[in-house]
Order: sequence, then C-alpha cells, then structure tokens
Amino acid sequence: MTTVIKRNKWEIWRDVIFALLAREIRTGFNDKFGIAWAVVQPVIFIFVLSFLRGRIGGDETHTIPTFTFMAIGLLFIQGFLQTMGASAKAISKNKALFAFRQVQPISAVLAGALFEVLVKIFVIIGIIILMYFMGIDLQISNPLLFLACFLLLWIFAVSLGLLFGIAELFVKEIGKVRELLTRPLFFISGVFFSLQDFPREYWHFLDWNPILHAIELTRYAVYSTYGSEGLSLEYLSGTVLAFSFFSLAVYHISWKQAISR
Amino acid sequence: MIRLENITKYYPSRIGKQYIFKDLSFDIPSGHNIGILGSNGAGKSTLFRLLAGSEYPNKGQIITDLSLSWPVALTTGIHQQMTGRENTRFIGKVNGIADIDEYERRVIKFAELGKKFDLPVNTYSSGMKPRLAFACSIGIDFDVYLIDEVTSVGDAKFRRKAKEALLERSEKANVIMVSHEMDEIRQFCDSAIVLHKGELTFYNDLEQGIAQYQAL
Repeated sequence: MTTVIKRNKWEIWRDVIFALLAREIRTGFNDKFGIAWAVVQPVIFIFVLSFLRGRIGGDETHTIPTFTFMAIGLLFIQGFLQTMGASAKAISKNKALFAFRQVQPISAVLAGALFEVLVKIFVIIGIIILMYFMGIDLQISNPLLFLACFLLLWIFAVSLGLLFGIAELFVKEIGKVRELLTRPLFFISGVFFSLQDFPREYWHFLDWNPILHAIELTRYAVYSTYGSEGLSLEYLSGTVLAFSFFSLAVYHISWKQAISR
Repeated sequence: MIRLENITKYYPSRIGKQYIFKDLSFDIPSGHNIGILGSNGAGKSTLFRLLAGSEYPNKGQIITDLSLSWPVALTTGIHQQMTGRENTRFIGKVNGIADIDEYERRVIKFAELGKKFDLPVNTYSSGMKPRLAFACSIGIDFDVYLIDEVTSVGDAKFRRKAKEALLERSEKANVIMVSHEMDEIRQFCDSAIVLHKGELTFYNDLEQGIAQYQAL
C-alpha cells in the first residue's frame, strides 16, 4: 500500500522545496553542457572582466588586488540579479504545479533561490581556484562579515523577487518593468568603482543603495585595509529586514488570490 | 462529505468580473461516484480546481475531512523534459508518500509504459501521457479521485483497467469526474451533479441527471 504520511506544515514545505530543487537541477539546463554551464559561464565572465580591468587599471585598487576587487563586485551583483530574476520567475514558471495543493508559490521561490545559492557557491570555488593559479593573494580578514553580506544580499534578492513574482501574477507587464529597473543596478552598485572614488558631497547619490553597501563591505571583509568609511552594516540589514517583512506581508495576504486568477 | 460554504468565485476580465459561482452553498455527499455534468464554460473545471485546493474561492470556504486527489487532467504536474520515473518520484515526494519505491512500482505496473518510463515525457504518444498522469494519481490512496477527462483519451484496455482500479478501491474511495462523453460517465459513475448557471443539483440516479442535463 502506498500510504500517505501525515506531515505537518513544515515537513510538507521541506519535502516540496526539496522536490522542486531536484526538479530545477534536473531540468534547468537540458542541453549537452548541462548544469556545468550555470557555473562555467559566470566564472568565465567574471574572470575576463576582472582580468581586463586589472590590465587596464593597474594591479591594485584601494589597497586590494584589482582582480579581487572586480571579482567580488561582479559575483555579488550577478548573484543579486540572478537570484532576484529566478525568484520572480519561479512563480509563473511553476504555475502548473500549484494544482497540487501542497505546492505553494513561496516554495517555488525558495527552491529557485536555493538553486542560485548552490550555483554561486560553485562559482566562488571556481574563482578561488583561478586566483590560486594566477598567484593572487588569497586572504580573508573577516569571514563572518563576508557571510553576513552574502546572506543579506541573498535575502534582499529573494524578497524583491517574491514581491515582483506575486505582482507579475496580477499584472504580467511588471516583469518587463522589473528587467528595465534592474539593468542600471549593474552600474550604480559599486561593481566597477568604489565609493571612495567619489567626492564625499556626492555620496548621497549612491549610498542609498543597499547593494553598494553589501559589495563594499564584502571588499572590506576580505581586506581590512580597504576601509569601510561611509558604509553601514546596520543600514544594509535594516533595509533587508524592512523589505523582507514587507514582501512576506504582501505574500501572506495575496498568494491565494494570486494563483486563483 | 464535502461542504461548500457560501462560495463566490469570479475571474476578472476586461468586461468586468465573470462570476462562476455566487454565494453557493452545497453538500457533495460521500459514497457516490459522481459525474459532473454541465455545458461548456459552466464552471466544471473551476469547481474541480476549487475542490482540489489548486485555486481558492474569492469568498467562502470548502470544508472536508476527506483526502482529495489533485485534479487529474491530461498532464497536470508532469514535466515534459523529465522522464516518467522522475515525474513519478516528484509527484510522490510532493504528496508525501511513505514508500516512494513501492509507489513507483505501482505506477509502472499500471501505466504499462515499458522502457519508455525512463524516457522524457515529450517523447510519449498522446495516449501515454494521460496514462502516466492517471497512474500517478491512482497509485496514491485518496478518498476521492478528481478525474478531468483523462480516461476519455485512453484506449479501451486502459479504460477497463482504470475502471477496475477504481472498483477495487470503491469500498474506500470514490471518484468525481468531468467528461462530455455520457458513455464514459455511465461507465464510472452512479450519480450526477448538474451544474447550470452557477447552481448545483444532485441526482442520486445517474440517468435522471443525464436526462436533466440533456434537456437543458
């Protein structure tokens, strides 16, 4: 007999998220490159850009190797954009699965976002291996801060993705607006520059952006000589907390109607 | 018994809210194999999806202590690029099956896909996909199976098998099904619910229900 286990809410969530994650890994990349492409492509992209920037802009940027400087910026902004995109798209992509009452939109979002974390971990490993062979100094002065920034940025991306994903079920066109809105983030989040490159009186144009704080703080976490002037972990965590609360609240009141349209 | 309490359900559209049900209260009795009869667009599939918890009403609630299957339509929850086996295990995992291997064997036996079970679903013929979908749902012990025109695409052998499987389970389980083919309804059901203009009427005698439906 195939008995159905009585599961509580959390166990159902766990099972569903795990099943969706396995499904994502299995079907995300269905050509010959397979899932390796998800790791190889960003590693090459980050490597080429960071390497070229190092060649053009000199070996060191604000006391840290230019390669490291660029690699952190690119890794984090890509991580943010892709996690947010994946979370937002997870809802409409898995819409057919909401036929199972156990599958709720947030499980799909979390599965999509966890998949991105897995990919990013392998990308980080790939970059570190490359750095080792290039003879770039490998050090990290504050690993906890590094992890905190990574985690906060991930939660920020998932919250925004969840918000957009729900909104897109109501108004499809919001997806297009999302893509348009996120594009400039690549250029204003301190990927190619440091906050210190700007005169202090112009900082307020840039430092409202929590992603910039995450990227700059991560560089500081890797090399403490980089400095953290004008940056604030409190501001970053406060924004992330506010956004995740808001997006969970919106999700809570609207998910049933959102999938019933 | 499945109790619908003050269900209001509409779909928003360009020309305003399209009401399917307005403040509908109804008890669907247990112990019957029920065919839901109604013309196109009467809301049969919507009713199904509401019962299964795939969608939620705008107002009101559905109360039941029975375990209901998901609405088994042609390819619900089946991923085209995954193999039959992967799809089966996915569905088993989502539904919280205790012994997934046993469940898998049961699906294999019922679906009779042979070697194709390990090939992606998009290589299946149009008759094989619903066989897999149906096997996945009949492999789980539900109290009520919600069947949405799946059996109509299968061949005679598959229909007979589906019928036997449901009969075998009929002491404990029932079926609620939607189909436009009266022959199929007659094969599986003993009573009917006629769905007309947002109102439900239960007929204990299937033939009476069919007569009523055809007179509409």
